[in-house]
Amino acid sequence: MAARWSSENVVVEFRDAQATAMSVDCLGSHAVLSGRRFLYMVNLEAPSEPPRKIGRQSKWDVGTVQWNPHKSESHVFAASSNQRVDLYSWRGGCGEVHTSLQGHTRVISDLDWSWFEPEFLVTSSVDTYIYIWDTRDTRKPTVALSAVAGASQVKWNKKNPNLLASSHDGDVRIWDRRKPNTAAEYLAAHLSKIHGLDWHPDNEFVLATSSQDNSVRFWDYRQPRKYLNILPCQVPVWKARYTPFSNGLVTVMVPQLRRENSLLLWSTLDLNSPVHAFVGHDDVVLEFRWRPQKEGSKDYQLVTWSRDQTLRIWRVDPQLQRLCVSDVVEDQMEDMSLTVESEKSLSSQEPESQHSVAAAAGNLQDSGGSLGSGARQDSVLGSGLPQTLQQEFSLVNLQIRNVNVEMDAVNCSCVVSAHFGSHQVHLVVKFPAQYPNNAAPTFQFVSPTTIPSAMRTKIQKILTDTSLQKVKRNQNCLEPCVRQLVSCLESDMTQEDGPPSGPFVLSNPVTPALQAFPRVTNTYGSYQDANIPFPRTSGARFCGTGCLMYFTRPITMHRSAPPTEPTPRSLSALSAYHSGVLTPMKMRSESQSTLRLYSGSPTRSDKDTVSISSFYYKERKSRRFKTKREGADYGNRPIKLAGKVIIQEISCLLAVHKALGESYILNVNDIQDTCQQNAASALAVGRRDVAKVWALASAATNQDLSPDSDPDTETPWARHPFGRHLLETLLDHYSRMSDVQTLAMLCSVFRTQAPPPDCYSLYGHQPSRSTMSPPQHSRYPSYTSGSLTSGSCSSTSDSITTTTWNPGRDSDHVNPWGESSPDDGRYGNPGYTDPREREREQHDMNKRLLDPANTLQFDDFKKCYGEILYRWGLREKRADVLKFASCPPEPHKGIEFGLYCCHCRSQARGTQCAVCKRLTFQCAICHVAVRGSSNFCLSCGHGGHTSHMMDWFRQQDECPTGCGCHCLLQSTF
Amino acid sequence: MVSVINTVDTSHEDMIHDAQMDYYGTRLATCSSDRTVKIFDVRNGGQILVADLRGHEGPVWQVAWAHPMFGNILASCSYDRKVIVWKEENGAWDKMYEYTGHESSVNSVCWGPYEFGLILACGSSDGAISLLTFTGDQQWDVKKISNAHTIGCNAVSWAPAVVPGSLIDQPSGQKPNYVKRFVSGGCDNLVKLWKEEDGQWKEDQKLEAHSDWVRDVGWAPSIGLPTSTIASCSQDGRVFIWTCDDPAGNTWTTKLLHKFNDVVWHVSWSITGNILAVSGGDNKVTLWKESMDGQWACISDVSKGQGAVSTITDTQQNEQRRSQCQTRSNYRKQTEEEKSEAGDFNFYLNHFQ
Repeated sequence: MAARWSSENVVVEFRDAQATAMSVDCLGSHAVLSGRRFLYMVNLEAPSEPPRKIGRQSKWDVGTVQWNPHKSESHVFAASSNQRVDLYSWRGGCGEVHTSLQGHTRVISDLDWSWFEPEFLVTSSVDTYIYIWDTRDTRKPTVALSAVAGASQVKWNKKNPNLLASSHDGDVRIWDRRKPNTAAEYLAAHLSKIHGLDWHPDNEFVLATSSQDNSVRFWDYRQPRKYLNILPCQVPVWKARYTPFSNGLVTVMVPQLRRENSLLLWSTLDLNSPVHAFVGHDDVVLEFRWRPQKEGSKDYQLVTWSRDQTLRIWRVDPQLQRLCVSDVVEDQMEDMSLTVESEKSLSSQEPESQHSVAAAAGNLQDSGGSLGSGARQDSVLGSGLPQTLQQEFSLVNLQIRNVNVEMDAVNCSCVVSAHFGSHQVHLVVKFPAQYPNNAAPTFQFVSPTTIPSAMRTKIQKILTDTSLQKVKRNQNCLEPCVRQLVSCLESDMTQEDGPPSGPFVLSNPVTPALQAFPRVTNTYGSYQDANIPFPRTSGARFCGTGCLMYFTRPITMHRSAPPTEPTPRSLSALSAYHSGVLTPMKMRSESQSTLRLYSGSPTRSDKDTVSISSFYYKERKSRRFKTKREGADYGNRPIKLAGKVIIQEISCLLAVHKALGESYILNVNDIQDTCQQNAASALAVGRRDVAKVWALASAATNQDLSPDSDPDTETPWARHPFGRHLLETLLDHYSRMSDVQTLAMLCSVFRTQAPPPDCYSLYGHQPSRSTMSPPQHSRYPSYTSGSLTSGSCSSTSDSITTTTWNPGRDSDHVNPWGESSPDDGRYGNPGYTDPREREREQHDMNKRLLDPANTLQFDDFKKCYGEILYRWGLREKRADVLKFASCPPEPHKGIEFGLYCCHCRSQARGTQCAVCKRLTFQCAICHVAVRGSSNFCLSCGHGGHTSHMMDWFRQQDECPTGCGCHCLLQSTF
Repeated sequence: MVSVINTVDTSHEDMIHDAQMDYYGTRLATCSSDRTVKIFDVRNGGQILVADLRGHEGPVWQVAWAHPMFGNILASCSYDRKVIVWKEENGAWDKMYEYTGHESSVNSVCWGPYEFGLILACGSSDGAISLLTFTGDQQWDVKKISNAHTIGCNAVSWAPAVVPGSLIDQPSGQKPNYVKRFVSGGCDNLVKLWKEEDGQWKEDQKLEAHSDWVRDVGWAPSIGLPTSTIASCSQDGRVFIWTCDDPAGNTWTTKLLHKFNDVVWHVSWSITGNILAVSGGDNKVTLWKESMDGQWACISDVSKGQGAVSTITDTQQNEQRRSQCQTRSNYRKQTEEEKSEAGDFNFYLNHFQ
């Protein structure tokens, strides 16, 4: 560590200040120290002068204080005090509060002035809101960002006036103030609470976070899943902020034993060791700020305030500043061994891109850091190229099994040694001076390389090609080349050795195999993921038919957070509750200062595995119980983390009853009796309403009301207000109650009642459906059974099908169907050949109490009830109910003949043409339209009535039309 | 009356995240942060540990029983990014299938209606939803909807197997032409409906109302009515009921059930789809029922160890009963705290009035 001890600093003690926060104004002339009773104004030009004071009346400490960073408003500073922000103005040696911002409902955790608009201030609070204030209108915030989780830090982006970052436990959210509803991006940044957040001074996309989890991480928020780089520390990091000069970073640690209260200066290019330590403070450093550079001076000054009540001013001269720039890397390059390098790469997954960020930032700084250069910087960042060979060496990621790379930056060369099975490869790579600017390195195999020369040549060519490709674009090529080499060797060796042995035999002990990154890093218990929802610890589920199963958090486990605070939404919140019995509640009861400072930063070891139970505070059972029961044994018993699962019988809440399911009957032969018995059953379980319904059902199914088959005699009972209408009203009522039991039973009973009590008709064809929807079975009238195998084709007309399907149908139904094609309905032809038939059909519809239009819905009721009966184990009852469900026959699957109407030549399906309404084809023999069963020749397409065809081909083998087709030979009839 | 019929001490070593009973209500499966899944036989008020399933390498978030026509099959999902399907064969439980296709914690699993065969939907924090279909002979077909929810998917729930628009004008004669649909909720604050068309899963609807992560969704079972109902709950404490009367399933209307003070984690429908159980971060369970005029009212309040407190109605009577509940529970707390762990279950609205 190239630590140089800064000799020159200013130390001023303010014994009585008890200040918790400090800020330096943008002119560099004043620092404000905020104590509970006074704000002290320190003149930085003459710090030892007694400070001027501004009195304040508050029982709260000042949380954060910050000067307005704009020269025009340099007399204004903001100080947060509990839920309020006071805006002070400091003019002519005296200051006063000129306005206050009130809006937060809980303590304000951080505030930040905008870098672009002098009037804008952002505040974050534990109350989960982030408010952006326009100080010209202090009544309410102009923008409110709802984060749901309380924020600990909030910072404006230094390059983009609309962007903000806030930290919430271990997460960082990036906000665009124009879209206040949700965060623009989430970073699951840390395992534990984030204490500090700082945007890169020159790069719009990069920020640094410091956390309780002993690390500083660097992020490009466009890649929220991976950090750019990590600075691992031994202790929690309180703050990490970029320096105003390039590539520097200052950190303040939370010391373990309050011994090393130093500030460390790092180069972001090399995070292995700090470049400088500012040693001097005797207690925790509470705040540090950079004093703006004086004109003409190259020095920067760091102003620090510590709990030891001293203000120190440290000079950072150009020499020290330069330590943060890249030549440091060169200095340290030689003694940096490869092992160190690989360890570092292991911990940082994206060293290359991090580097480029830093390098780009360096560039930018040199060029003056104007806004316009942001784009260029971005492009540099995108290409991700280290500038020099040294940098490439230091950042190259070569975690490859069985491969070792020795890099020699001074001689611009490196040796790649690899072991594959029995083969060894040693390759010297020499880099030209201009590398990587369109100058490719050379590759040379040296002894003891054991691979055959043919392969050497081949590999050499591949490597040269690869490197040329890269350097053409001024990109460096070491890593791609080495990977190329490995894949070449791998494929060749696999061929050579045969598949079983494989290239990566770990036989060679010379180079320990480095494990590649495992896909699933062992992060169980780390809960770093911010997008994984916080686990449920209670739940309730309805199970089976009448059970409610629920589990809750055990009574002994209390929320660590007060109940007013919502349960966190993300699992990453757990990291804040790392070790069991936790502090938030206690901390709140303590003074404000302790809450703000180092809140959640107790230096405990985080060795315990994290579990969801860590979130809850386990209460030891109180003594009262201890004495009452089990005595001393009680205290030793481990506290149960899992609660009990309780199963409740809640069937009384449901509208369906198992008892009714058991006792309900469905007797087709005596509907009256069925209704009466069911009414009694309903009464027995206390469903008086259902009992009445059964009484009504009994009345409605009375034989006296059964419809006459002749439509002319009287209006059927179904048309009466107490007929179908009553039933519909009942069904509607029980639908609202979700009483599927009553619904299904009613549907079943009235289903039996509607048509003449004929068992078959329940399953068979329901004539009524044909008008509402085409009859299923007649959809494909030319259904041919086995036509595929026989090769013959027989068409069956509808009258036959209908009768086949309805063997037990009443005679008065058969006749009309035999006369008219059911396709009438399908093709929208209302023209019944016989008006009497239509009337009869209408009558058939009308006399039903259940509206046939809803048959399918009624079936669904029955199916649903059947399912419930099944769960109850009442399978016979289920069968009883499902008997009444209509079962549409299987749809036709197979070959269907397309027909051209013999009259109008339009394409038709079935026996009647949809266009001309005439029967589509004539028998080749009798020249009469075919309606019934027909056969056709597959070859010539002629055919006719099956009986005629049978007769004809008994003697003949040519087509009856005389077309010359040998139908019997062409297609077997 | 409502009564506790069983209290199962699961002996999990860490907190329980889900519990579910099988189709017949005879077995209970629980899962926990201790990385195990346990199955208990809970017939007749007993509790016999049938199986202790170990295989997950992280906390197990959810379990789901498959329909018994496929055998005794249980699916579990975990923080370890795995979904495991367990099956009982000859009385022994074993892994039937392990799915490792997700890149982050798998938060929810749900079996589809049995009409679709053995099909499992899994929602993960990697934002994707996987649909695993058993194709027989140890083979599973995997379909993945990538980026179903940005940031992550928290819950999935299947629609009952109803033919869309069936009840009105189903083309007759055909085998019911079921359309596979399910609902999901995620960290993008959205509830999304998905539909399978020609073997491809497509986003059908996007329902917006929540202002924070959606934690659970539940598609209500159908009793044969043409209305589809979905409940969703969120980190924002709100529970919404979504209904759709439109046979095409395009117009969904929403109704706020209640705004709770803490996150709501779980919603569950009763078998007839008219009672909703709601549970959340406040460690309470409430039951909600839709009245005849379509209003939702709290009919119960299960709260554990904190006394049964509810503030749904302000009538004198309820006030009285509530205070009674409190005193009773306090008394109980002091005398038999073991029992108070089992919770109080007080009903003060008689649902049949």
